Amino acid sequence: MREAPVAGEGRLPGMLSLPRLLRGLVLAVVVVGPWVLPAYFLHIVIMTILFAALGCAWNVVGGYAGQLSLGHAAFFGIGAYIPTLLQVHWKVSPWLGILAGGAVAAVAAVVLGWVTLRLQGPYFAIATIAFAEVLRLTALQLREVTGGAVGLTIPYLGHRPLYLQFEEKVYYYYVIAAVLLVVVEMVRRMAVSRFGYYLLAIGQNEMVAETVGVPTVATKVKALVLSAVMTAVCGTFYAQYIYFIDPFSVFGLGLSVEVALVAIVGGLRTVWGPVLGAMVLRPLAELTQGLLGATYAGVQFIVYGGVLIVVILMRPEGLIGGASRLYGRLVGRFGG
Amino acid sequence: MHPEIVLQALVNGVLMGGVYSLVSIGLTLIFGVVRIVNFAHGEFLMAGMYLTYWLWVLTRLDPVAAALVTMPVLGGFGLLLFRVLIGRVLGAPDLAQIFLTVAISLVLQNLALLLFTANYRSVTVEYATAALRVGGVAFSVARLIAFGVAVVLSFLTGVFLTRTDLGRAMRAVAQDREAAVLLGIDPNRIYGMAVALGAALAAAGGSVIMPYFYVFPTVGASFVLMAFIVVIMGGLGNVTGAFLGGLIMGVAESFGILLVGGHGGVMVGFLVLVLVLMIRPHGLLAAPKG
Repeated sequence: MREAPVAGEGRLPGMLSLPRLLRGLVLAVVVVGPWVLPAYFLHIVIMTILFAALGCAWNVVGGYAGQLSLGHAAFFGIGAYIPTLLQVHWKVSPWLGILAGGAVAAVAAVVLGWVTLRLQGPYFAIATIAFAEVLRLTALQLREVTGGAVGLTIPYLGHRPLYLQFEEKVYYYYVIAAVLLVVVEMVRRMAVSRFGYYLLAIGQNEMVAETVGVPTVATKVKALVLSAVMTAVCGTFYAQYIYFIDPFSVFGLGLSVEVALVAIVGGLRTVWGPVLGAMVLRPLAELTQGLLGATYAGVQFIVYGGVLIVVILMRPEGLIGGASRLYGRLVGRFGG
Repeated sequence: MHPEIVLQALVNGVLMGGVYSLVSIGLTLIFGVVRIVNFAHGEFLMAGMYLTYWLWVLTRLDPVAAALVTMPVLGGFGLLLFRVLIGRVLGAPDLAQIFLTVAISLVLQNLALLLFTANYRSVTVEYATAALRVGGVAFSVARLIAFGVAVVLSFLTGVFLTRTDLGRAMRAVAQDREAAVLLGIDPNRIYGMAVALGAALAAAGGSVIMPYFYVFPTVGASFVLMAFIVVIMGGLGNVTGAFLGGLIMGVAESFGILLVGGHGGVMVGFLVLVLVLMIRPHGLLAAPKG
């Protein structure tokens, strides 16, 4: 089915192969590139990496386990709010806040998992929407603590790495790139582990999985917790990077949909699919927003929706299939 | 708490609940017949509201009378949407069905934002602030009319489903698709009709609330969330359940606002939803499926 490109195939004489050359080139661009990139483009790159990580996290639940969550903003919002509240009210460093946010997100995931255990398909999707909405409304309602609809602004302290604050964007780039690397590596290992196969089995047919002895309940909750913690870390990064959060932008349904989109458009149940999805969608959104957003509000979401409709109707397996075939052909031609 | 306040909350809740019922019946009908959860249902209501607004601005047509225009227009739009997009994912995995309608919702919402900006718009009819007083309780005329129209339309939908050939065919398809086909019913025609009817009912809901509600691009989102709660409570596909659920949620929301304030209404709604789902994962009135 999947034509995975195999490294080392199609070797050139000597040690150089195209994949290796490509990899070296990519690595150089990834490390040095951000220093020479103009601020606006660096911002697009940072947001792309953030959404790639979010898409990978969603993929664990929505892709591998086949549980279509439309409420991942709940975990993102927890990750954004908890460390920010700790910082604003008690001056706790966001580095510690990440742990607190992750822990709360894990608890929330267990609660959500427990409530939605028996729900399937659209029921699960609706319940997750409701879950995120309850948190959004709570953040709106607790005005004294969260600032309500006005939101929270993070005080700028200057260049304070211990407080996850940097003068230059490029440091944020390294932080979120590290997050993405960790997330991708975890998903990559998960995918070939017993746990990963359990998830795939549940995603294919939960009843059959249960029958053949997969501990479906524990596996689903575990997947949700893993995904929630990853998502919460991204939420913390977002808050610290943007310096401002409000209930709509971090708990809103729009965010949940965008995150799912990244994974679906890129390719579900693949390690790199969501990364590819983010690389296509995020620059598209930022550029349409930047070029047309001022005159035509909402135009980037019309583009998003259009892309989603086309992908669902034309290429339900996502873009990754085509991309990896292309890569394979490329490697085949140059190497062979 | 003063008994009159409680009574007033009850009245407000029931009057709003009627509209929730109408919107939810459309949603549950589409699910029951076509087996698709329409995440874009709120956008039918939103489009109905904008159409009502512009009819009022351009021709001073009364919002309630505008339902006679919005229902066929949005019905036609629903049919078109089914023919062009939704019809293609019948029998497809959950993922395609859910995210296709999510995408449609995203596009319609932002199309409205593009065309009409994010501004809140409203119409001002003469009876906007009129109210009948019974004891210490006020019955807003605009809300009373909206409730009345909603109940009549819900009743007519019930009559349509039980007394006409097309309505019976819809129920037949909902109950057993294969058997209906064997009896000579063309399911694709019925699906299209169900989506059209569902859209028309949501549009009517949009029209009748215009005298007392603002319209903005994302107005459908809050209604569709309420409709989901109602429909799940009543059992997906259950029209009577949706009608009762709408009234219950209207009252629950009203008391939520009374007790918690501001956003309490929707929160109470979601808590009810979570409870219902935990007790009965397939809804209150629906028979559990194997």
